[in-house]
Amino acid sequence: MVASTVAVLVGALVQIRYGGYEMPFETVWRALFDRAVWTNPRILATILLGDGLAQTLGVHRDLSVLTDATAVVWTIRLPRVAVAAFVGMNLAVAGAIFQAITRNELASPYILGVSSGAGFAVVVTIVFSLGTYLLPLAAAVGGTGAFLLVYAVAWRGGTTPVRLVLAGVVVGTIFNSLQTGVFYFIDSNGAMRTAVSWLAGSLTGVGWTDVRLVVLPTLVVVPAALVAARQLDVLLLGERRARSLGMRVETMRFALSALAILATAAAVAVAGLVGFVGLVVPHAVRTAVGSDYRKLLTGCLFAGPALVVVADVVARLGLGGTQVPVGVVTGLVGGPYFLLLLRRTESFNEF
Amino acid sequence: MPPTPHTDTDGANESPDATDAAAATGDGNRVTDEDPVDSAALLGSDLELGYGDGAVVDCEDIVVPEGEVTALVGPNGSGKSTLLKGFSAELDPDAGSVLLDGSDVQNRPPKQLARELGLLAQENDAPGGLTVGDLVAHGRYPHRGFLDPLDADDEAHVDRAIDLAGVDHLRDTPLSELSGGQKQLAFVAMALAQDTDVLLLDEPTTYLDLHHQLRVMEVVRTLNEDRGVTVCVVLHDLQQAARFADYLVALDDGAVYDWGPPEDVVTETLLADVFGVDAAVTYDGEPRIVPRRALD
Repeated sequence: MVASTVAVLVGALVQIRYGGYEMPFETVWRALFDRAVWTNPRILATILLGDGLAQTLGVHRDLSVLTDATAVVWTIRLPRVAVAAFVGMNLAVAGAIFQAITRNELASPYILGVSSGAGFAVVVTIVFSLGTYLLPLAAAVGGTGAFLLVYAVAWRGGTTPVRLVLAGVVVGTIFNSLQTGVFYFIDSNGAMRTAVSWLAGSLTGVGWTDVRLVVLPTLVVVPAALVAARQLDVLLLGERRARSLGMRVETMRFALSALAILATAAAVAVAGLVGFVGLVVPHAVRTAVGSDYRKLLTGCLFAGPALVVVADVVARLGLGGTQVPVGVVTGLVGGPYFLLLLRRTESFNEF
Repeated sequence: MPPTPHTDTDGANESPDATDAAAATGDGNRVTDEDPVDSAALLGSDLELGYGDGAVVDCEDIVVPEGEVTALVGPNGSGKSTLLKGFSAELDPDAGSVLLDGSDVQNRPPKQLARELGLLAQENDAPGGLTVGDLVAHGRYPHRGFLDPLDADDEAHVDRAIDLAGVDHLRDTPLSELSGGQKQLAFVAMALAQDTDVLLLDEPTTYLDLHHQLRVMEVVRTLNEDRGVTVCVVLHDLQQAARFADYLVALDDGAVYDWGPPEDVVTETLLADVFGVDAAVTYDGEPRIVPRRALD
């Protein structure tokens, strides 16, 4: 946990320090603690809430009074770190929840069709040029739609984890095919790039708007998940046992899935389909703290942001001039991690 | 509809009142010295249970008397486990009803049912990292609200359950390090922590070594004798059932073949008719079954 926090902070500093606008750490430090920002609630409010909302609330203040360094740090680099942290948090928590619901430690937030539904919706939005500002909405709607479809397919007087996962595969395959089909209707190169960076998961160009978008669901998801930790523990004891303990298993499973979908949709809406975080983080945390869900979820709240923030540093700065989607980096980190785990662990008996 | 004579008269959907139930047992012919309906913790009437097509269990009346240990015995596929699922409201009956303390098990909210009726299933998969103490604490689930922490009362019940099941020395041991028998005792402790008046057990001794088979059955027996908990247990082993239970219910092809104290139920005829085994049955304090050969 301490290590994760340190990783987030170091990653954040590096991310803020380097980039197109060069500045030494000292300037970064001064910009971060710039008195113009901290002693002036109106400026802080305008940065955090955005021009529009700040104006509505009557706390708007023109930001041109800030120095260049402060402006770059506060309006460009800091929000990117914040978004990365929130994305990591949401994906890790969602992954942990899905791993309990499906009783499968290889479950990811995308297991119930969310990724393919969101991906399809995003590509359709791009193909029909419906406007890029609609992308987060499209992703959330597509993902939720696919999830509901998965539930409908799996439902036969109730569901079972296996049926849910199989339905997820079925719906996922169909949406993936549709998505690949629609891809061929993209005509411009720019649109193609947008689509690809969405599908791979990218934090390029995110700002405080995205932070605002992701923070509300996070504020719901995190406390709710921590409260529900005991339910997840009981669910892990097996469906029959959970029922004999008086849990409404079907209701609980749907509610928890919905919670995880909310977290996933929030992350996907701002960053696209960042892969592997939701799979690898709960898994890594579990090997450290065991399967008690309150500890596991708390661990995820720290380790998730650490992975994504650091991965985004690599994605943005690793290749010098070119930025790669952060999802590419998380995949490159996650794959070898699993390989290592596979070779070092003798048995996977946590579940 | 089953071919029993009185299913036409008391409709399956009517809520059966006392007179109905009494009338129903009136034409059942296995009434013992005490009236089984009055002392019934669980009472199934005109019960039909199945999984979609065709009834697996189709019996007139079945009684689990309060404060006694009742064992369900029968060959594979005779409907023992299905009947238990009906008792625990896991399976909705296609017809008839299951009454727990006089009211329908189906109509209780799940948590309330779980405070009155515990179930120890055969399935034993839980996260390996979980310690015995944590597992047993989950037995308090039905007694806690959504946000309630484990209070002193819960702790006391957990301690008592762990003590009773004799797993005190394993309290901080993760499940993955236990033997099959120790694990089963841990799950027994969890069911005890649930603190119910009725406890259902589905083949709790299958797959266990002899020592742990006896341990589990002794814990159950103690629970029954000291706390008056009504026990209904599905057992594979007829000999074991006859030793531990006050009453046996012998099931044959989904119907009750015989019901009563072990010495009345376990006979050479039962073994031949129900189990398809030619055996010698003798009694010297407890029944002794010596199987000779399988009948065709």
